[in-house]
Amino acid sequence: MAQNSQEILTRLRKHGVDFVIIGDICCVYYGAPIAATLKIEICCRFDEAELRKIESAIGDLHPFHRLTTNKLPFVLTPGLAPGLKNLYLQTDEGTLDCLGEVAGVGTYDAVVKSSELYKLPYGDFRFLSIDGLIAAKKAIRLEKNGRLLAAIH
Amino acid sequence: MIDEETLAQINGKYVCPPDAGPDWRALSESGVDMSLLEHALSLTPEQRLNEHQQMLDFLMSIHGAGLRNGTE
Repeated sequence: MAQNSQEILTRLRKHGVDFVIIGDICCVYYGAPIAATLKIEICCRFDEAELRKIESAIGDLHPFHRLTTNKLPFVLTPGLAPGLKNLYLQTDEGTLDCLGEVAGVGTYDAVVKSSELYKLPYGDFRFLSIDGLIAAKKAIRLEKNGRLLAAIH
Repeated sequence: MIDEETLAQINGKYVCPPDAGPDWRALSESGVDMSLLEHALSLTPEQRLNEHQQMLDFLMSIHGAGLRNGTE
């Protein structure tokens, strides 16, 4: 078992998935104390072509839908793509959540507009902007988010 | 063909385990991703520490980078 975030991000990039890193990781990116949940969260388009890229990127990591009671393997069966809005996956290299929309910001196009590019040693990646992050955290009022908001303000 | 309930779970609906207690259910209802906790509980302590360390290493590599981005 692993949470190899670098491996997951690198695979997504290598397979041409367009995505923005969102979630608690962005709080750390902007200097908040490290208390993020152990997962990678991205926002991406949920059309079939993009979903196929995700499937190709992580298909050999035995991905499954971790919220399904029968731990259904992540396979894009015919007709499935139009019904997908989010993916909550567990893989051999860790947890990956893919969202089609970020509460408080909008769909992928709005999220891209509210993002910034950062060069990591293994590639360039887009992170949700600090304004977008604050809007997203305010939209989901969890106790933990209150602490993270205070940290990044 | 995937049924409606399974599709809802794929898209984010969490179903508590049948033996979940009131605290578990309350946390789930408050929005905490209990599937991560389920995953952690499926690991050995050594595996949990390993996952945690890997994530810490990743987070340390980006910590505060957004504050410096574009200013260098």
